[in-house]
Amino acid sequence: MKAITESGRRSRSWLRQQGLAVRGLLRAAVLAGVLQTLAIIVQMGLIAWLVHALLIVGLPFTSLFWPAGGLLLAIILRAFAQAAQERCGQHASARVRQQVREQLAADWSLLGPVRLADRSSAMLTNQWVEQVEALDGYYARYLPQQWLALLSPLLILLLVFWLDWLAALFLLLAAPLIPLFMALIGMSAEKISQQHVLEAGRLAGHFLDRVRSLTSLQLFGQTGAATASIRDAAERYRSVTMRTLRVAFLSSAVLEFFASVAIAVVAMYIGFGLLGYIDYGPAGQLTLFSGLLILLLAPEFFQPLRSLAQSYHDRAAALGAADGMAALQVEAASVARPQMVVSGSDDSLVQISGLSLDYPGRDRALDQVSLDIRRAEVVALVGPSGSGKSSLLHCLAGFVTPTTGAISLFGQSPGQQPLAWLGQQPFLIKGSWAENLRLTAPQADTSALLQAIEAVGLSALLAAQPQGLDTLLGEGGRGLSGGQAQRLALARVWLSDAPLVLLDEPTASLDEHSEGAVIVALRALAASGRTLVIATHHPSLMALASRRYHLEKGRLADV
Amino acid sequence: MSELKPWLALMMQRRMRLLLGALLMALTLFSAIGLLALSGWFITATGVTALLWAAGQKVMFDIYMPGSGIRFFALTRTVARYSERVYNHNTVLSLLADLRGRHFAALTLLDGATLSRLRAAQWLNRLTADIDTLDTLYLRLLAPPLVALLGIVLVCGLIAVFHVSLALIAGAMLLSLLLALTLGMALLGLHYSARRVEQLDALRVLALEQLQGQAELAAAGAIERHRQHLLAASQQMLSEQLVLQGRVACGQALATLGVMSTVAVCLFGTIQAYAAGVLSGPVMVMIPLALMALSEGFAGLPAAFAQGGATRAAATRLNQQVAMSSRLVEPLDPAPVPSELSLHWQGVGVRHAGLQDFDLVLHSGERLALIGPSGAGKSTLAALASRLIDPDCGVVSVGAAGPRDVSLQALSLEQWRARVGYLTQQTELLHDSISANLLLGNPAATKEQLWAVLELVDLADLVDAMPAGMNTWVGESGTQLSGGEGRRLALARVLLKDAPLIILDEPFSGLDAATRDRVSARLEPWLAGRTALFLGHDAALLPRSDRVVLLGD
Repeated sequence: MKAITESGRRSRSWLRQQGLAVRGLLRAAVLAGVLQTLAIIVQMGLIAWLVHALLIVGLPFTSLFWPAGGLLLAIILRAFAQAAQERCGQHASARVRQQVREQLAADWSLLGPVRLADRSSAMLTNQWVEQVEALDGYYARYLPQQWLALLSPLLILLLVFWLDWLAALFLLLAAPLIPLFMALIGMSAEKISQQHVLEAGRLAGHFLDRVRSLTSLQLFGQTGAATASIRDAAERYRSVTMRTLRVAFLSSAVLEFFASVAIAVVAMYIGFGLLGYIDYGPAGQLTLFSGLLILLLAPEFFQPLRSLAQSYHDRAAALGAADGMAALQVEAASVARPQMVVSGSDDSLVQISGLSLDYPGRDRALDQVSLDIRRAEVVALVGPSGSGKSSLLHCLAGFVTPTTGAISLFGQSPGQQPLAWLGQQPFLIKGSWAENLRLTAPQADTSALLQAIEAVGLSALLAAQPQGLDTLLGEGGRGLSGGQAQRLALARVWLSDAPLVLLDEPTASLDEHSEGAVIVALRALAASGRTLVIATHHPSLMALASRRYHLEKGRLADV
Repeated sequence: MSELKPWLALMMQRRMRLLLGALLMALTLFSAIGLLALSGWFITATGVTALLWAAGQKVMFDIYMPGSGIRFFALTRTVARYSERVYNHNTVLSLLADLRGRHFAALTLLDGATLSRLRAAQWLNRLTADIDTLDTLYLRLLAPPLVALLGIVLVCGLIAVFHVSLALIAGAMLLSLLLALTLGMALLGLHYSARRVEQLDALRVLALEQLQGQAELAAAGAIERHRQHLLAASQQMLSEQLVLQGRVACGQALATLGVMSTVAVCLFGTIQAYAAGVLSGPVMVMIPLALMALSEGFAGLPAAFAQGGATRAAATRLNQQVAMSSRLVEPLDPAPVPSELSLHWQGVGVRHAGLQDFDLVLHSGERLALIGPSGAGKSTLAALASRLIDPDCGVVSVGAAGPRDVSLQALSLEQWRARVGYLTQQTELLHDSISANLLLGNPAATKEQLWAVLELVDLADLVDAMPAGMNTWVGESGTQLSGGEGRRLALARVLLKDAPLIILDEPFSGLDAATRDRVSARLEPWLAGRTALFLGHDAALLPRSDRVVLLGD
């Protein structure tokens, strides 16, 4: 329970922080909202005055020309202020959302690929796209409305109080009852809506699972059973959603009830007061003008509260989204980036001296590793999984900062100069062959692209593509086999003139046939004078290396 | 708007519920109108009466009738609002649940080639997000304008009782407002609201790329450029969204302006009529107030209709799915499945797989290994044999490899597939327990049978050692099984089906040599007497076969 309030507090303060940059716009939205209330007061006042002047005072209707013009003006002002309030809120929200996306993307870079590996990229993507969108209503509507739900009724109340304090008392009594009842209902609603979110997630999972396994279901003749289970899940989802909605509707019905009853009570009070049936309090001073005005303002008194109630789920959505984003930011801020001391200045060597790396809560990943790698050398890092091969590569690439020790890459510290990286899974974007190749070398011309393709032995495949280099690849290189995709990623390495190439198990997910093709391409890369550092346990890749280092529990073992 | 027709027709099947729902909605609006109009009339009437009493005139004023009327409207409004919402949402949600079941059922009938046109996530979006979007059709696009129209008719009818020309003016103003807020907004928002889904999709792809390519991009110093690209895409989407939202804001302001200026115009009209002695004072006030309460019926229209493009786009995508029909032939009068299971691919061609004029015989009781690189068409031949797809030309027949063979297309799809046990190259496991995954192969299998097939694939000891045993959860996020173990579970499921014709596509991928040999040996007695087709890169990585056929590049 304490953890929940703690994260709630963090979410709230995070939301407040994000809103700081758009304070001006939010204030403008509130101001426009107040202006709208003032215009409404003028509009209703003029209507009441016109009626009063005509029926009670008996002014000729030709003398009512100017007030009538004023009425039209007030209506125009009201509509204008309404649009202005919306617009300010919309701009504030758009700006906050872009700013949050910038912040999150910056956090990703701060954390780097190694720390982010703990989180699923689908989850992070969902956070960056959907959850940021979920902030929209909070900044665009809820925040301005939070103030307006206080200011607008207060303005109206003051006026009604001046007109007839007893009528104002009726409104005042109804108003605080509303949040009280809504809070009571809201508490149970929160629990139900959590269940709803859970059930919605389950439903999507259930669907995705069945859709993914369609072929199996067909082959096993189980499509009928699967359809029945989908129907069940959809029906369960309906009933859970209805339970959430019933409570949500009940809270808005409470609001509706008080608003309606307050109007009815005020109308009766004014009617009886005008007839002189009420001989206490201020009722004796009621006129048709003040009575009608109070009646016309009564719905407007409750309207801001109703709008707030409607955007209350915006707040819940934003709080839910904020939690994860605040957590990411805290983690990114905790990443220490000390400037590493460059030990050597020899620009023909990669020098690693006394390198140790600790991850909190885990065994030491690297322990006092020292080694030198010459330019144009091919080095294999071998050892069982978890022995620190990848950690060493991560240090070389500058993705993590070692706890102690120093690295010099040809005279510079890691992260200073571009290098090439090839992981287990080839990274390919949804785009053409050319776009994929130019990802890290945007200036490369077509002949360079073709050379790189030739070097990794994909020329024949490229020739078979309908639009050559402009042929589109599917997401993640769909349409290519694993080996072809890895070689295309390798062509990108070829294209970059990074002198150092780091390869993390580049053939681990390939069959033997494809592995052979990748090794041929790697050999050509080595022959072109690059320095290769390969983490692997495949014998044929080890054979490529001119030197091998054996790692065991983070320590360099003697070969 | 023809995209929406099939959905409207579907909704019409529940027209009584929908009509009742719309009536409840209308009752809510009518009570609001009644409450404000009657209150206005009442206050003015009391004011006028008090004035007459002060002047010494003896006039009667019944305060009880209007009083109970006001109380009635106040209560009706609350009750009608609540029941309308619950009732209508229940109607629409059960409609959506029904649609989901129906769409999934249609999906299961499609052939493999049609299914592969979209990714699983895209099919999922049809079933969830797109169907969800359709709830707006009734709740936000159909019922509210209808109710607003009813409100206009009611209020103008009321005015017409007292003043016909004023009723005509108010009617004309409100009807054109209704038209502007519905059709006008729909046209203004169509482009941007239809684009939003694809924009979000594109944004997701870019963000995913930024995350998955972080190592390569960061190492190459290209991450900043890609990030700028990503942020520019987000900014572009937000800017377009702002344009749409701006139009909605203008629409909402127009709704206020439209209703309130009708109120003002009618107030001037009733004032004039009062001065001319046509109308009484209380009625003079009642008419504009009734109009004022009508604004509630207009408030939600601009936002709903500006988003209409999204509903239409969702309906279009769903229509495309409905229009997809299976290309698998289902004979009216299926032939019986022959007892001999020699399979003959005769001059078959499958265009999308690049397979042309292919001939091969798999003899009954034979074990045949098809060896070739990926993309050579092995999986296509297996899909033909199990009738996941049908050939574009040529025929696959079954029988005793003679003239009496019958084409697979002459057999009942269900009966034929029941004879084939096919382990696909892709391991497909349900996010469910181990036993539920196995039971897919044979729902009637006993506990003993389940353990027997697990023993065959050398998983029995492993599963037995798990704390939850057979109830251990596996599937997408199930980390309990490694890739090789999942593969063996999928194999066990095929074995459980106990089919006479077996197709195994790279059955041992992800298995180490020792496990492979062990499972291969245990399969030997099981495979005896069955007709089997093995697919792979290398015959050494497959169970023992009688004959090997190489498929060229």
